[in-house]
This record gives sequence, structure tokens and C-alpha cells, in this order.
Amino acid sequence: MSISCSELSKIYEGGKSGWPALRGVSFDIKPGEFVAVTGPSGCGKSTLLNIIGLLDEPNGGRYLLNGRSILDMSDRERSDFRRDQIGFIFQSFNLLNRLPALGNVCLPMMYAGVPGAEMQSRARELLSKVGLKGKEKKTPLELSGGERQRVAIARALANSPRIILADEPTGNLDSSSSREIMDTLLRLNAEGITVIMVTHDKELAARVHRNLKMKDGRLEE
Amino acid sequence: MRSLFNAVRTGISEIRVHKMRSALSFMAIAVGSVVFIDSFAAIFSMYDRLQKQKEVSGIARLKITQDYDQTRSDPDEYKSPPNIRYEDAVSLKNKLPGLYMVSPEFQNWHNTLEFEGKRVVTTLNGVTPEWAKRDFIYTLKGRFLDWHDVENKLRVCVLVKKAVPPPTNELDKTRMKQWDYTAAFDVMVAHNDMLGKTVKIGNITFTVIGVLEELPASRRPDIILSQDRDYKVLAPATTLSHYGFFDEEYDSMDLSVDAGNENNFEESLKLIENFLKVRFGGDEYFLIDNQMDAINEAIDASVKASLITISLGMLAFIAGGIGIMNVTLATVFARTKEIGIRRAVGARRGDIMLQFVVEAVMLGLIGGVLGSVLGYVWGVPVKRMLGMGASPIKLWMPAVSVIIAAFTAFVFAIYPAWVAAGLKPADALRTE
Repeated sequence: MSISCSELSKIYEGGKSGWPALRGVSFDIKPGEFVAVTGPSGCGKSTLLNIIGLLDEPNGGRYLLNGRSILDMSDRERSDFRRDQIGFIFQSFNLLNRLPALGNVCLPMMYAGVPGAEMQSRARELLSKVGLKGKEKKTPLELSGGERQRVAIARALANSPRIILADEPTGNLDSSSSREIMDTLLRLNAEGITVIMVTHDKELAARVHRNLKMKDGRLEE
Repeated sequence: MRSLFNAVRTGISEIRVHKMRSALSFMAIAVGSVVFIDSFAAIFSMYDRLQKQKEVSGIARLKITQDYDQTRSDPDEYKSPPNIRYEDAVSLKNKLPGLYMVSPEFQNWHNTLEFEGKRVVTTLNGVTPEWAKRDFIYTLKGRFLDWHDVENKLRVCVLVKKAVPPPTNELDKTRMKQWDYTAAFDVMVAHNDMLGKTVKIGNITFTVIGVLEELPASRRPDIILSQDRDYKVLAPATTLSHYGFFDEEYDSMDLSVDAGNENNFEESLKLIENFLKVRFGGDEYFLIDNQMDAINEAIDASVKASLITISLGMLAFIAGGIGIMNVTLATVFARTKEIGIRRAVGARRGDIMLQFVVEAVMLGLIGGVLGSVLGYVWGVPVKRMLGMGASPIKLWMPAVSVIIAAFTAFVFAIYPAWVAAGLKPADALRTE
């Protein structure tokens, strides 16, 4: 899965002429790369990740995903793309607290129409892979921060995505949990999944193939 | 199918988590349901009553009376108008055997009736057996007048017993004397078993062969043509003429006619006019009161009343629907983050829409069922307890009301669900 962006811009509404979050960002990411996006708060890292993940649309520029412009995709196609090809990991986990860990992991498969029994067994397998065997019935509120993030990783892997987008995945975690999560991401990358991670943590950024440094909505090379 | 199942499951957990909010939604729609069932029951009983009225009164009715206005209009050329006599009625029936009823009738206002030494004032109606063919809202004890009584001018009579006789306390007695000079008659018939006994009307002795007991109000269909319904004593028209209670030389009878069939009503009307022309040398002496119009007007009024009632029921549902819409909108805003999460993991707009519509329809369904139960409780035991009479609730009414409740919830959930589905995933995820 190749990602190619050129001159991406994003302006949020507000003020006289809006507030520019991205001002002409261009880069390419090859399949299987592990890229860290770093930079100070408010520099547009999360906006860039949202656009890459098809959660948001750029106001200008071009974004080719596997050679296809995302501006030509319908909302339905984007939804299906997110469901099948992209896994998200967020700083604040974004789990549904009402559902148990198993239910959260099942969610993407539910929308993909995976049959019930298969869905359950795959969700158990994924939870066990991230070290949460025996905690399938626990709701997020009954789990620690690190455990929650591991549920989120299991959920991100549910439909075997080609890309994982992680928005400060360790931002709310202690250092040992952070290390574990980072190890997991590195392992997934070693399995061939493209990983793009937004982070503040220079140590984590040092462990990946490439860093995209951002400042004021632009890339610093 | 799977997403529907999952939407239902999520809906159940939502309802369980937000008990108060769900209860308020149920109530909003349940109130609509109660009003709907009540109004439907009201319409049904109205319709039922109307059918009974039509059966009792007939539709193709008309009344022939002497046209007093016409006869008075030109005093210089005053011409004594011909009277309708018993023989004319017989002749009309013979000429037009297709008519269902030809009932000649006259009323004598002020008569004294004596029974076992007690005298009361009564009205007296001369009729034939045809009288009983329409507007018969009585149960009969003994027998009614037959053609043998009429042809032989027998001194027999039938008394009418009011469903509710006037009260007999002193104050009311004074009032009775003032306003209703025949009220004492009603009291007498109510408190004496007069069947088979003899009574004296004027100086003539009559045998009471039958008593017509007016049906109680609850079982009595309203007579559409309610004018002149105050019958007391019925006797053969021929007998009353013969004994001088009625002078056919001076007074005219009224003819109540039922053509029997509304399709050939116009044709019957023409034939009757023709009959009057031939027999009396003109039909301008008579007023032919087309009572079919009156009956149809009454039916129209009932239909209008039904429409008002049903629109009230519908308004109640709309109010309930607005309640559902409000709750669903609130839910959408409370769950914006969740919408963002679902969209991020691949839910399509349609999935989100389905989610909220299904939840609202579930609220509607449960509210509808609750409303049906409340509607039944209100319509039967409560109304009975309040002495209002139970509503005729049929099984299909709650069924229809549950369907309408669900449908209302569906319709009113579309907008909030559409709002939910239209949220941008990134914006939805940003909300806290």
C-alpha cells in the first residue's frame, strides 16, 4: 500500500480566513515503512494522520492511495477502505466503554460482515496476541491504560489492515507500557504492515525507519 | 441482517443504560397510543351506532304532510286543501307495492286516560302496523296492533313506557304540571302492569294489548329523525276516526314513507308525486320532506366528527414523535464520539443511520405496547369505574397503534439519524 501526498493543505474554519493546519505538505511512504511524524503541539500532525486515514479531507493538494486519488472516492468507498485496509490507534484509546474488550475488537469485523463465530474466535486470537487472554469480558473501564491500548491495537488489527495509523499511542501511558506498545508496533511492521505514528517521544521516533518533522503545518526536512 | 441485529443489540443496551431517558420516550409515544386507541374506539362505536341508526331508521325516508304555508298563501283564492286520509295511505301502498313502509299517522294532543280510578293526561296517536317498521327502539310486551285491529276498528291500544320515567318528588311534580302535562302518564305506565287491562280514553274503553318499553339509553340507537318521537298511546287510526278522536273531514294525516332502497329513491319520489297529482288533482298541496337528505347529513356529520377524532389521535402521535425526535437528537449529540469511533473502524453512513433509526423504532415499539396496555386500562376498567361505559376496543386497535407508534418513531428518527450519519468522522472523534 503506497501513500503519495503532494502539496496537501487543510484549513479549519474560524477567524477571518480560517486557521491553516497544513500548508502544502508533500511526501511519499512506501509499503512496509515505519514512519514517525514528529513536531510540537498544533503543528498539524494529527490533521495529517486524519487525512491519511480518510477521516478528514484536505482542502487542497493531491493524495494518492495505492495510486488512486482519495478525492475521487465516495464516502462509502472511504468507509470500506478504512474498515478493510486501515487500523487506527489513538492516544485516548477511543474504545466503546459499554462493550467488553471482545466486543470492541469485534466492531470492525461486524461492519465487514464477518460471521459471528469466526468474528469471536478471531477477536479472542487477537486479544491473546496482544497479551490480554482471559480479559475478553472486561470492559475498558476495568482495564489499565496499557491494557486499553492493547485492546485498541487488537481492534486495529481485526480486519488485517495494510496500514496502521497511530496517533500518539503512548501519550497516556507509563514508560514500561509505552515500550510494550512500541515493541508490538515494531513487530507488526516486521510482519509487513505499514505503520505511521504521530509522537512527541524522540526515543520512540529514533526506533523507526524515517521521521517526518513538522512545524507550523509544513514538513521540515 | 447482521448490522440490523447489532443495531438492535446496541439499542437494547442503550435503553438499559439510559433508563430515565428511555422511559420518557416510551411515555411520549405511549400517550399518543392511548389517545389513538381511545379515538379509534370512539370512532368505532360512532360507526357502530350509525349502522344501527341506519338499520332502525332506514335511509330512503320521506314524509308527506299537508302544506299549510301553501294553502294560506293566497287568502282571496282560499281553497280548502284536500286531507290525507287512511284510505289514501292504503291506496298508495296498493299502487306502489315496492314501498317498504307507508305509515299514516295523526296525533291527538289532549286526552284523558283513566286507569283504576286514576286519571292522567296523554297524547294519542292513530297508526297502523306499518308504524312499527321503522324507528322501532322498543321491546314489546304483549303484541303490537295488527291489520285485523285496523280493519275492524277494534278498541285496542299499545302503551309506551319511557326508559327513564320522570321523577316523582314534590318539587318535580310541580314542574311536571307546569311544563309536561303528560309526565303523569309516564309515571303511571312505569309503575303499573297495565298489559291486558282496560283503560278509558275519553269515554271509550280500550284494551291494552301491548306495552312498548323504550330500550335503555345504552342500548338505544339514536333515531336520526328524532322529531315527534314522544309517543304515549298508540291505537288503530281507523278506530280513533270511528270514535271521533280524529275527524278526517277537517284534519289531514301525515304519511311516513320508506322507499326501501336508496338506489330507486328518486324514482319512488316521482311515482309518489304522480300518485298525489292523480289522486288529489295536484301535488302542490303537499310538502314532501326528503328525509334521506337529513339522514345523509347526519351521516356526514358523524364522518366529520370521526375525522376530527382521528386527527386528534394523529396529533397525539405527532407529539410523541417529536418527543422521540428530541430524545434521538440528544442521543446523537451525547454519542458523537461513539459515532466517530464507529466511522473510524469502518461503519458506513448507512450503518450509523440504521443504528439510530433502529433504536428509535425500538422506543416506539415499546412505547406502543405500553400505550396499548394503558389504552386498554383507560378504555375498559377505568372508564367503567367512572361510569362512562367501556370503549369497544377491538384486538386490531392496539395492534395498529403499535405499528403506527413504530412508524411514527421511524419517521421522526430519520432527521436525527441523518444528522448523525452526516457527521465528519474526524470532527466526531474530536468531541469529548
